[in-house]
Amino acid sequence: MRNLSGAVCDLASEVVSVLRDGGHRAVVSPNGQGPDAELGVAAVRVLGADVLLPSTLHRHPPAPSDLQLVREAVRTFPPGGDASVSTEWSHWAMRDALRRHDPAAAAPRPVAAEPVGAEPVGGEPVGGEPVGGEPDTAWLSRLTWQELTHQLAVLGALAVPPAVTGPSPVVAAAAPRTLDLARGFVRAVRRRDWLQAAGAGRWLAVLDSDATPVPATLGLETGLEFVLRMGGADPRVALHAHAAQLLRAGAAG
Amino acid sequence: MTAHADAPTAQTEPAMAHEEGHAALADIVRGALEWVTAHRDRFALPPDVLETHTDLNWSMKPLGELARLSTSITRAAHTVADHHDDPHWRQLAEIARELLDFTWSEIGEGRVLRELARLEPHATYPLEIYAAFASAGLRDEHFEEFTGTLVRTRAWASTEQQPNRRLGVLAAEHQARLPSHDDPTEALRRTWLGALPEPWTFDVTAGYALTHTVFHLTDWGARPAGVPADLDTYLHHWLPCWLDSCLEDQQWDLGCELLAVGASLPEPYPPDRHLPVWREVAGRRAPDGSLHEVGAEPPDAFAHRYHSTLAAAFAAALTAASTTRSRPSESAHRDAHPGHPGHPAHAGAHR
Repeated sequence: MRNLSGAVCDLASEVVSVLRDGGHRAVVSPNGQGPDAELGVAAVRVLGADVLLPSTLHRHPPAPSDLQLVREAVRTFPPGGDASVSTEWSHWAMRDALRRHDPAAAAPRPVAAEPVGAEPVGGEPVGGEPVGGEPDTAWLSRLTWQELTHQLAVLGALAVPPAVTGPSPVVAAAAPRTLDLARGFVRAVRRRDWLQAAGAGRWLAVLDSDATPVPATLGLETGLEFVLRMGGADPRVALHAHAAQLLRAGAAG
Repeated sequence: MTAHADAPTAQTEPAMAHEEGHAALADIVRGALEWVTAHRDRFALPPDVLETHTDLNWSMKPLGELARLSTSITRAAHTVADHHDDPHWRQLAEIARELLDFTWSEIGEGRVLRELARLEPHATYPLEIYAAFASAGLRDEHFEEFTGTLVRTRAWASTEQQPNRRLGVLAAEHQARLPSHDDPTEALRRTWLGALPEPWTFDVTAGYALTHTVFHLTDWGARPAGVPADLDTYLHHWLPCWLDSCLEDQQWDLGCELLAVGASLPEPYPPDRHLPVWREVAGRRAPDGSLHEVGAEPPDAFAHRYHSTLAAAFAAALTAASTTRSRPSESAHRDAHPGHPGHPAHAGAHR
């Protein structure tokens, strides 16, 4: 009997594998779910939009079976009324990825201009839930650099370049704080929190720009390699670190 | 998790926090200096200090550290006293000066160092200790003349030592008015800090190498301009992480040294970053004003307290003096990227 964390690790391994192969095949084998189907959907909910990351970064259409799984995860696990803001953002990212990869869904992107509580944008919402703007980002700017790094690492699946996915409120909110995030990367490595370090490193790879530069003295490339060597046995760490390396190499530039 | 090194400042009045911080720093200096004064005899040199069986690490070294740090504390406390016309800080300067005079008396106003130099003419430590006194204007011309011959040997220039210590020897040569055996700029770049290493490689050994590099560059906080611009930027970027590590790992001694580094920078480490760290350090002191080096359970031994207690007084005095050099600058201003709104509170409110 598998447990959820095992299923998440298995799924993360598959994502890493497809990511490294160039994103041409399905992350989840269409017939591989079997009696663990429910567990599989829950694992997809945990990894969130990262299930479609190989397609996003390599700009290939995702396998219909992967899309179907993400759709199912969105439908099965909608954020409740007491959901944390990071749960809401993770959910938002899945819906956003579905809209990008699945024009057939015909629902417009939950655009940044729509504040929370606005009238639902037209079309049948993916997953059968109302579409209406996006969660708040102002809270990010109030966090200390330690808290910011923790929260953004949890939201690692949102660390994708806007050039690929379109405007992202969380990327925009995080961009002015690259130095704080770089400090958080240092702290995470020092504490041997490889998952947080890999998540922070992935965000830094997305945010590094002339306007919001990551300090060169951080040594992000060797830092990512170090995190992979030390913590890469955990597929979730490997996923973020490989995504960061792909982004640094310009795969999705 | 320990206190965050940069609690938000928006809800506190910076000036008020600054005043409180100033009083708290004075309290740390006073408590530490009173403890050191009460334990002054433990720093006294043993009668057999010149015998070969004497362990200099437990005789000359503590006395040399007391001389070095009381010199810096005296100077910094005078700076604060003069700036604020504050009799409290003037008194702290006097207590520190008495400790310095005690050390000068213990080494026979240079005689003991002279004799140590004759016993080990090719060792650098007598000159390194002498430099603390010379920096305070306490000089021994005979020592300087004797050492002047030795520093011109090829052997002296090739002494096998860690790069940060080589920098210290160069600084000591300068204090003793002797010719330099090497180019200080090149010597700096051979140190850990001088290489601007990846900040996530920081560990305790690197930390102490780093702090001493800055102390040698600045004559222990007296000359912030001695820190090159790239090191200044580098240290402002990464000190928050390393201070956070020290608090979490309960490295109180290294934490104090890093605070002293922050206070020795051309643009001092800002109060909204150092005050929360100071609050944490202050809370770790024993009721007698002393601070232990590492860990949660304070051992009673003098050996585990004297250095960290001195380091706390040194760092607190330098921190107080650093606030007289510039208005309290907020970290967000310092960290701002060119072309971006500085304060994080103004950034990221995109909807």
